[in-house]
Amino acid sequence: MTTETRSIAGLHSGTRLATGVFALVLGAFFVWGAGFAHSDALHATTHDVRHANGFPCH
Amino acid sequence: MLVRFLLATLVAGLFVGVVMTPIQYMRVVPLILHAEAYENGGPGIEPAHHHDAGLVSSASAHGVDGKVILAHVPAGGAEANPALFESRLLGTLAANIVTGAGFALMLAAVAMLTGRRITAQNGALWGLAGFGAVALAPALGLPPELPAMPAADLTLRQTWWIMTVGLTAIGLYCLILRRETALRVAGVALLVVPHLFAAPHPADLSSPIPPTLAAEFAVASLATGALFWVLIGLSVGFAQDRMLRAEG
Repeated sequence: MTTETRSIAGLHSGTRLATGVFALVLGAFFVWGAGFAHSDALHATTHDVRHANGFPCH
Repeated sequence: MLVRFLLATLVAGLFVGVVMTPIQYMRVVPLILHAEAYENGGPGIEPAHHHDAGLVSSASAHGVDGKVILAHVPAGGAEANPALFESRLLGTLAANIVTGAGFALMLAAVAMLTGRRITAQNGALWGLAGFGAVALAPALGLPPELPAMPAADLTLRQTWWIMTVGLTAIGLYCLILRRETALRVAGVALLVVPHLFAAPHPADLSSPIPPTLAAEFAVASLATGALFWVLIGLSVGFAQDRMLRAEG
């Protein structure tokens, strides 16, 4: 860790890219599971949140 | 450092998910429950059979015969509620936590990939941009819908929704974070383009839901969504500020 790590924006661009893509994919996976998965169990559990957030539902 | 960045972002999102749950119960969830009374043709009908739900059915859903990927529960409600939690409130809390964590990660990822940093100062603005892309833009074509409202094919609507959110997010990036004139013009175009492709709507719009209820819900959903996103931005900014100070 060098002094550059004091700022996230100052991170080595390769590391930043990898972390950013990882966070994006992980976040999208969460949102997909809560908001979009067609599984009955997930749909029933997240039903109210899907409607509340305006995700397409039913 | 990067693990801490991810953890700080996750915690920020979890926190917002917890905070949003009682807020949704003030207005949005009561309207959903009200609408469910119209799903089976009249008021006073239990929304779902929670008593035979719970962990047993969720376990079987993941079991050998599992992978229950039968599209959606048709309007009219599930016969046997397959929810992961017996309590509807717990399910909503869990879903809010996962959604909060997911959007917090995605917002932080966008900032990181575009070389910016979300702080407590600019967090609300990042959140508002998220609201514009993820709530407001898709709502123009697919207004927040209540149970029992007529709707087109689910996959078509999800596809349109995702396309609109993606193009709007890229458009906002070009418009707000870039200085080049050509990119800004392209940004405006990207904001408009999704709405040129009509969002999927059913042929028959007749609905048992009173129009006032639907209007109240659309406004409540968007207002709650705006609060959610501002909190996500602020919370991520605050968490990252703290993390960097701790690293300092």
